[in-house]
Order: sequence, then structure tokens, then C-alpha cells
Amino acid sequence: DSHIQYERVGADVTMKCGSMDWDAAVTWTANGTDIDESHLNGSYLILKNVDLTQSGQYSCYEGSSWHLKYQTYLRVGTPPKEPVLLCRSNNYPKGFYCSWHLPTPTYIPNSFNISVIHGTREMVCEKDVFPKNRCHIRYLQLFSTVKYKVTLTVTNALGKNSTTVTFDEFTIVKPDPPESVVAKPVPNNPRRLEVSWQNPSSWPDPESFPLKFFLRYRPLILDQWQHVELSDGTSHTITDAYAGKEYIIQVAAKDNDIGTWSDWSVAVHATPWTEEPKHLTTEAQVTETTSASTSSFMPPPTTKICDKGAVVGNGAVAVCWTAGLVLAAYGLLFI
Amino acid sequence: MAAADSPSAALRRRDLCSRGIRLAGKMRSDVISLLDTYVERQGLDASASVAAVEGVPVAAVEHWDEQGGTQRLLENLAAYRAFRTLLAQMLEEQREQLGEADAALGRALAAVLLQVSAFAYHLEELLRLESSRGPPSEEGAAAPAPPHLGLFERKLRGLGVLQELAQWAVRSARDLRQLAKLSPGSSSVPSPTESP
Repeated sequence: DSHIQYERVGADVTMKCGSMDWDAAVTWTANGTDIDESHLNGSYLILKNVDLTQSGQYSCYEGSSWHLKYQTYLRVGTPPKEPVLLCRSNNYPKGFYCSWHLPTPTYIPNSFNISVIHGTREMVCEKDVFPKNRCHIRYLQLFSTVKYKVTLTVTNALGKNSTTVTFDEFTIVKPDPPESVVAKPVPNNPRRLEVSWQNPSSWPDPESFPLKFFLRYRPLILDQWQHVELSDGTSHTITDAYAGKEYIIQVAAKDNDIGTWSDWSVAVHATPWTEEPKHLTTEAQVTETTSASTSSFMPPPTTKICDKGAVVGNGAVAVCWTAGLVLAAYGLLFI
Repeated sequence: MAAADSPSAALRRRDLCSRGIRLAGKMRSDVISLLDTYVERQGLDASASVAAVEGVPVAAVEHWDEQGGTQRLLENLAAYRAFRTLLAQMLEEQREQLGEADAALGRALAAVLLQVSAFAYHLEELLRLESSRGPPSEEGAAAPAPPHLGLFERKLRGLGVLQELAQWAVRSARDLRQLAKLSPGSSSVPSPTESP
């Protein structure tokens, strides 16, 4: 007879060898390995203060005949802690989803039960195939002031726990971030960058439920972001970029009227147009060798040959003025 | 109205919708400020939500996306006419209760009442364009007498009125966007929805 036995971490476990008498001669094995007699009390196996490593298959054999008398699979785990539940609508006004997880693993199988109540009505939250710990609901009513109450109960062989969240239709609205963010330099405009993006594809009806956007951008070498809020349109031209500097740009979205801002989109990088073609590859550390006169970061003029240890200007980039002149002259030769 | 299919009617409708959306937006933000003031002055709990207040038009609706243009306008108009009456009652009660002690709340209520009236008028204009019958008349529709309630119940009722009005303001903007999307007739040039 084989079955599964669940026990809590730290518990003392006593296993009987099926219907064998206490004084029968038996041998116990754990995952095929004989267990030392010191763990036996007669024919009972005693495991004190069990830990996770003691999970496994335990078998009991009759002493002389080696008949298998009893077998069990011991699973050591914990009862569930209070689950973390989050509900959100990224596809308003179609519906919303709730997703959950346990703050710490239980090491044994758990089952989840979710209930959604709107006023007096119980609604069905349809479980998603993927990800597993998620279900979705279609709104039956819109513009309701009545709150939704969602209760998630998690149960396993060692116990249960639950959590409840209450919210109204508007507060959980949070779109997905904008998609396909593209940033391009503008020819002959050393201080401009043209940014465009698309509505998140999960937002079902941007025409009737328009989104507004928040753009943030900064040169890679600075920490402070510039922000622009845009009430419509899916493009914007930055006009105050520092010439020749690589920028990092992100966009977020929000329903025009309700809910909260999305997470930031994937970051895109772009550098404004510069007059001279760059001969050095544009990597994260761009050496200042161009003679672009519109640059706001003019290196202090020096007649010294730059040595490796010298750091001038804002300290982020070593600038070699004389070397720059030479390279610029070189560049001009090749145009 | 045969004129509803004409290009000028389509333009007028689009214009009315855009302005209506802006009015609804302004109204909503003013109602939300009013709610903050009301909750504070009346000593209520900000997170209190009042369930189904009698006589207050409920914004909640099923199959919202399936509604026709005229139906949307009629439901909105009925709601704002009701709010006009309710807010006037609240203003009266507030004056009786607090006298001149709380002029700020009185002013805020009066300002929102004005916007609600203006919005109702705006909806009537849209209905004249949309439906040959125009807006339903208000004659003979006597304002229902305010229920006899104790002071605390009146405060809660007022909260319910304002919460539902805030909800309606959001719904109205959505309704008008839906209306703007509908093409008035095959003869008219389809117009892109204007963003507010």
C-alpha cells in the first residue's frame, strides 16, 4: 500500500509498518537506503524534527521474508502563508485579471480558490492556462460605484490561508506600457530627437478610451530625467537635447480619466544628429573628439598633450583637445 | 431630422461632442474637489462609499458598448436633470443647516450645480441633432420631494449623490466619444474622432 504523507517542517513523525505488530522485526528504508535501527521504536520509524531533506520514499520490509509491508511518500512542507493578491485592468473596459503568489514556498502542492463578489453578485473568475496563478473576469457592468471584493484562499495538506482585496472599477485600471518606442535623430538638427510609440496592444479601444502619455528622457551621463506629459498623440519631438550626447528615453501610458500610470516602456537610446560623421564607434563611453561647434560640453582648451591620467570637465570623459584637433583634421581629409 | 445626414450637421455634432467631452472633464474634476470639501466639512470618512441612494441616477450600466447614440443621450440627460434637482436640494439643505457658516461649501455646490445645468442643456442640443423628436420635455415632471431624513442620513445621501455624479461625469465623456465615433450617414464624410 503506497500513499503520500504530508508533514510540517519541525514535526516529529511516527510511521507504522502497516498492520505489523509493534514488536515485529522490520527493516525501514528511505529512498532505498537502509535506516539505522536507532531511529526505530519497535517496528515504528521515528523521525524527529523533520526537515525538507527528509522528504522521500519510505518503505518497510518484514524482517526475514523481505516482503514489502508498507510504503509511503513523505513530503515535508509548511502550511501556506498569507498569499499576495493583485488585481488589475490592463484592457479596460473589457475586464480585469487577478494574479497571486505565495511569499514563501510550501514545498508541497497547493490549490487556489478565488471568489469575486460585486455587490450581491458572485462573479466567475476564469483561470488562465498561462500563467497558472492568474484568472480573468469580464466586466458585466461599467461605471459602477459598487466595489469588487476578491478573496483568494490557498489550501494544502497542512493548512490554509487567505487574503481579500477590495477595489472599485476605476482604481485598478493600469495599462501596459507603450510599445514599439522609436527615437530618431532629426537631420540637420543637433538638439532634436523624434520619439514615436504605439498604444499597448492589450488596450482594446484607444479611440473611445484614449490614453495619455508621459515621456522621460536624459543623457546617459546624467542622472536627472526630463519629463513631458502628453495629452494625445503618439509622438513627440525633444528640442532641448544636448548635442552629440546619447539619450535614454522611456514612455508610460495612462487612461485619460481613470486609473494609474503604466510601468515605463522598454528604454530606447538615441543620439541627436551631429555635423561631422563619427569615425569612432558609438559605444557607452564616447570620446569627445568631434569638433562640433554646437556642443554644450566644450572641453577646456589646453595645449598639453593629454595623458591617460588626466580627467577634465565633468570628470566622466577624458578630453584631449589637441588630439581632437588632429583627428578632426584627419576626418576632414577623408570626406 | 433629415439635416442630421448633412455635412454641416456632422460637423456640428462633432463639435458638440468635443465640447461636451471637455465640459464633462472639467465637471468631473470639480466634483472630485467638491467631494473632498464635502467629506471634510460634513465630518465624514473619506473612504465611505454609500450604496444605492434612493432617487439618485445610477451610472452603472450593462452592455454599455451596445447602446445606440440616442439612447446614450437620453440616459445622460435624464441623469443630469435629476442631479440638477438633487444638487439644488442639497444646496438648500446646506444653507438651512449651516447658514452662512460654510460659504465655501455652498459656493462649490453652486458651481457644480451650474455645470450640471449647462451640461444638461448641452445634451439637449445634441439630442435635437440626433433625434427628430428632440429632447423630452420637463413639464409636468414635478421634482420629487426630498425624503425626510435625519441630519446624518442627509449627509450620507449628499455623499452618495456626489459620488454617483463623479461616476456619471466619467461615463458621459465616454458616451460622447462613442457618439462622435458613430457616422451620422453614408453621405457624410467620415470624421476622425477628436481627442479632447
